[in-house]
Amino acid sequence: MTWLIWRQHRTEVCVLGLLVGMFGIALLVLGTQAHDLFPGGPARCAGEAGINEACAASFRRLDEEHGYVENLLAGFYLVPVVIGAFLGAPLLARELEDGTWQLAWTQAVPRMRWLAAKLAVLAGVAVTLTGMFTAVLTWFRQPFDAWEGRFQYDAFDLEGLVPVAYALFAFGVATAAGAILRRSLPAFGVAFGAFLAARMPVALLARPAYATPLTTMEPVPVGGSKDQAGHRSVPSFADWMIEHGYADATGRRLSWTEYYELEGAANRAGTNLNQFLHARGIQQFGVYHPADRFWTFQLIEAALFIAVAAVLIGVVVWRVRRRMI
Amino acid sequence: MTATEFALRTDGVGKRYRRGWALRDCTLALPAGGVIALVGPNGAGKTTLLRLVVGLLAPSTGTVEVLGHDVTASTPQTLSRVGFLAQDHPLYKRFTVAEMLRFGRACNLRFDQGLAERRLAKLGIPLDRKVGTLSGGQQAQVALALALAKRPHLLVLDEPVASLDPLARHEFLQVLMGAVAEGGVTVLFSSHVVHELERVCDHLVVLNHGRVTLTGDIDTLLAEHRLLVGPRTATDLDRAGAVVEAVHSDRHTTLLVRDGAIPAAPGWQAQPVALEDLVLAYLRRPSEPSAAVTSGVAA
Repeated sequence: MTWLIWRQHRTEVCVLGLLVGMFGIALLVLGTQAHDLFPGGPARCAGEAGINEACAASFRRLDEEHGYVENLLAGFYLVPVVIGAFLGAPLLARELEDGTWQLAWTQAVPRMRWLAAKLAVLAGVAVTLTGMFTAVLTWFRQPFDAWEGRFQYDAFDLEGLVPVAYALFAFGVATAAGAILRRSLPAFGVAFGAFLAARMPVALLARPAYATPLTTMEPVPVGGSKDQAGHRSVPSFADWMIEHGYADATGRRLSWTEYYELEGAANRAGTNLNQFLHARGIQQFGVYHPADRFWTFQLIEAALFIAVAAVLIGVVVWRVRRRMI
Repeated sequence: MTATEFALRTDGVGKRYRRGWALRDCTLALPAGGVIALVGPNGAGKTTLLRLVVGLLAPSTGTVEVLGHDVTASTPQTLSRVGFLAQDHPLYKRFTVAEMLRFGRACNLRFDQGLAERRLAKLGIPLDRKVGTLSGGQQAQVALALALAKRPHLLVLDEPVASLDPLARHEFLQVLMGAVAEGGVTVLFSSHVVHELERVCDHLVVLNHGRVTLTGDIDTLLAEHRLLVGPRTATDLDRAGAVVEAVHSDRHTTLLVRDGAIPAAPGWQAQPVALEDLVLAYLRRPSEPSAAVTSGVAA
């Protein structure tokens, strides 16, 4: 079986391996340059952008010289999806397309053993390739993470466990769609579409709700928040700010219209805005998830996508077992 | 006969797809050894029946027993006793012929590599060619060599020659019959072409509208059926229920009767019937349940 699986899927495995390898080498080269900007390692500069002059300079150069790579990489959360869908789509669809399922399942290997071997090997390849891709990408992003934290979309979706879960999700959808549609290419498309459709609501709606966010509330300082150098603010750069704004003295949140009215009033009165706000007891609030929730959130989101994949694979196994294919 | 002397036994087998029944009330007992032809028009349920026999499908009703074993079990042992050649002889088109053989070796308990290589060498099919670049006839031969190398007890072929040109068709049947002559294998194959069957087959199953309408040993069937030709008459001649078909021309009435014992009435001439005419007569009959005529096995 091992030889057969390799022979049948070596094209996909080689193409994906080559892609991941090329991305990996490019990222290693670029990443080495980016890492060299931080003599003591990027982690030492975490949160020091506005404090430590050397770190600030490093971050400035990082942004100027490598910022475009970071922007480019934001779209790479789709790479695991491509890996998973590319391996899953032909698993059953190609056999059904060419009629070779009738050949494969009338040899002495029972169909359930055939299916189990294929699913295990190809899912394993998807996990391995995605894991390698994620490892290089995570390393590459270390300087950026030291600057921006790991909760931004271009970090959270590309690092840790989540990419592997995306790959397995795409693998499951593509395999199931291939079993039903009996065509590889539409199955690939379905997997891609399903991921995009699932990812939007998950990232925008579900992810902030994995845990109850924390809230800070403090009076507007007289000097204004921009002059706060040296003071480690809460929430910090690495936390995931979900919402922020102003509230009145009782803690009632002000709408932005109300805030602009206050701003206009301050301008008309000719006073400093911060002093004006401070005098009226206006407070700043922030709703956020602390940075140390990163792995909890990764686990929750990974479990979510892997659960869907498991259900779909279960459906495929059930259909093959019942000889409905 | 004991159970294992039957290559195939089905009992009340039916298969329903979402669009309806493809096969109903199929009860068969086909003897081991020899060649069995499954005949019927397109859409009669031949492919469904054959897929049930090799375990690719599960029956909606009834049981299928191949060489004395329930096929739904699908153990490596039961699978290795049956060879299957699906319609249009699917193969992995990007594999070389040698890789196809390696596939057979990797996926079977026993695989006679030497036998397959000898067969292909005899046919002049090079092992290093990609399967997709071979002609249709050569692909069919590769698929056949693959199925025969399993040394199956039952070889099932779905329309094996339908897509082949006359020359390739002849070559294919020659190889197939050669394998049968070497012994040990029962062949069950489907066809919508009746002609040429007489030469190669021992047993016949006629399938129409998802039901078995005729089954039996070919020699026995031919001996049992006669054509009676006489003056045109409109009266109901089917006193004994033995008339399969009555055809009236301007002056004559031709009856196909099943019971060979009925003596021809005065003025009527008895003639033997050709296999093709016999099959066509049964295919033209309106489909009615439990009208299957069984012969041969019971005799």
